[in-house]
Amino acid sequence: MSFDTQTWVNVAAFLGGGMAMGFGAIGAAIGEGYTAAEANSAISRNPDISGEIFKSMLVGQAIAESASIFALVIAMILLFTDFTSVSCVTACVLLASGLSMGLGAIGSGVGSGFPAGAACKGMARQPEMSGRLTTNMLIGSAVCQTPAIFALVTSFILLFTNFSGRPVSPTWAAILGAGFASGLGAIGSGLGGGLVAEASCEGISRQPLSVTPVTNIMLLGQAVTQTTAIYGLLISFILMFKAFPETSSIAPPMALLGAGLCMGLGAIGPGVGEGFTAQSAVRWIARNENATGDLTRIMLVGQAVAESTGIYSLVIALVLIFVV
Amino acid sequence: MNELGKVHQLIIPFFGHDMTFNLEAILMTWIVIVLLVLFGFFATRDKSILPGPVQVIGELFVTQLYGLTEDALDEKLSKTYAPLICALFMFLVLSNWLGIIPHLEEPTKDLNTPLSLGIMGFCIAHYAGIKAKGFKSYAGAYFEPIFFMMPLNLIGELAKVISISFRLFGNIMGGSIIILVVSHLTYSIIFPPVLNAFFGLFVGTIQAFVFTMLTVVYISVQVK
Repeated sequence: MSFDTQTWVNVAAFLGGGMAMGFGAIGAAIGEGYTAAEANSAISRNPDISGEIFKSMLVGQAIAESASIFALVIAMILLFTDFTSVSCVTACVLLASGLSMGLGAIGSGVGSGFPAGAACKGMARQPEMSGRLTTNMLIGSAVCQTPAIFALVTSFILLFTNFSGRPVSPTWAAILGAGFASGLGAIGSGLGGGLVAEASCEGISRQPLSVTPVTNIMLLGQAVTQTTAIYGLLISFILMFKAFPETSSIAPPMALLGAGLCMGLGAIGPGVGEGFTAQSAVRWIARNENATGDLTRIMLVGQAVAESTGIYSLVIALVLIFVV
Repeated sequence: MNELGKVHQLIIPFFGHDMTFNLEAILMTWIVIVLLVLFGFFATRDKSILPGPVQVIGELFVTQLYGLTEDALDEKLSKTYAPLICALFMFLVLSNWLGIIPHLEEPTKDLNTPLSLGIMGFCIAHYAGIKAKGFKSYAGAYFEPIFFMMPLNLIGELAKVISISFRLFGNIMGGSIIILVVSHLTYSIIFPPVLNAFFGLFVGTIQAFVFTMLTVVYISVQVK
């Protein structure tokens, strides 16, 4: 059995495809299960509108599944495209592409289950508002998918960029690092964005008059929650598009791989934490609309402090790329 | 599939540097500008107490966005900044919607557009902050809570520009890549219109709103 470069490329394509779909299946399944559980409890509370709740559960689950469908698309491309290769950089590209999309789908899948569940519960509580709740759920879930879309962008850029002119030695590590940065970085923000959207659906059903501030602050909170995922995307762009000089030593490639891992792992915590902050702010705005200004300001300050660890990761990742 | 990531560029040598112009982004931006000017013309052409359809849309934009600005800033400042916010939102919405027309592309798909709008928002926010608080207390804010936090506060401020512009860019670019790849895989049957409606109209509107809202919030954080 001989192992030439082409064999390794095929191995990486199969491995990448498997990991893309394997990791990508985790999040959406959890999110959809949560939605269905909430829908059950909503129907038992208000059986009269079970049809409406069932419909909204299905719509919410369909959106929660979209992160997994992105992973499926990447897995299909990896499995059914013939990749001809010149160097083992191609193998790393395929592996990184699968990793990025697979890991990136986890957070958004779980996250978009939360608003769908809260919308079902809210309909049982306040059937009058079901139209508005569905709209809000759709907006919240769509914004929730943003981190998964970032991971998808990284995967596609990896697959369709020509890396053949690059030196093998640091490029393989830069590419794997790019996959980890955007893939891992999307987990926390996806989850956190879901928490915010959940609070807004709950808030609208509690206080239907507070629709406008609740929706606006939800969008704001979700946008700030996504900041660390954007740092991950930024680091992976730098790793993909910066030309690194060829090296025979093992240290520079490891610095690049370390930069990707540092940013990816460092983005998980701030994403979830900022999600908690914004969730609570949105929840209390619904109960006390007069305090919207104060709550928004404290939410932004709290999120900025929660984000500081993400900024430390960004600084260390930049140091690893540009200084070491 | 080959058109993915391909950009038509005009490169002009300029005193030893190459000036690069992304032709598509410039052309599409001009299309958006022309459409907006036409819209403004028809919305205000014969103003009446019983508004015509175009005037209604114009009034809707103006009242909603003035209300949004007034919620975040006080009344006096919102008079100054609301026209900017209005223009920003209308430009972004139309830019993000442009991609659903065949052969046209979103100018926001090119990183230069969101990045320059982000830098613009950043400069305006800091100008407003200096004007409202005075330079001393503006600069003092960077040394809180302790003086050696200054570099991190500075990076945190700069990261805001990155995050606001990459968020728009990533969403619009991601949407258009998904549309392209899925259309290719399914031979353009059934899926493209649905995807265009979702990513072009729905996500495009939300992201334009998020960008506008964040610009307002950045101004209000600096002012207060």
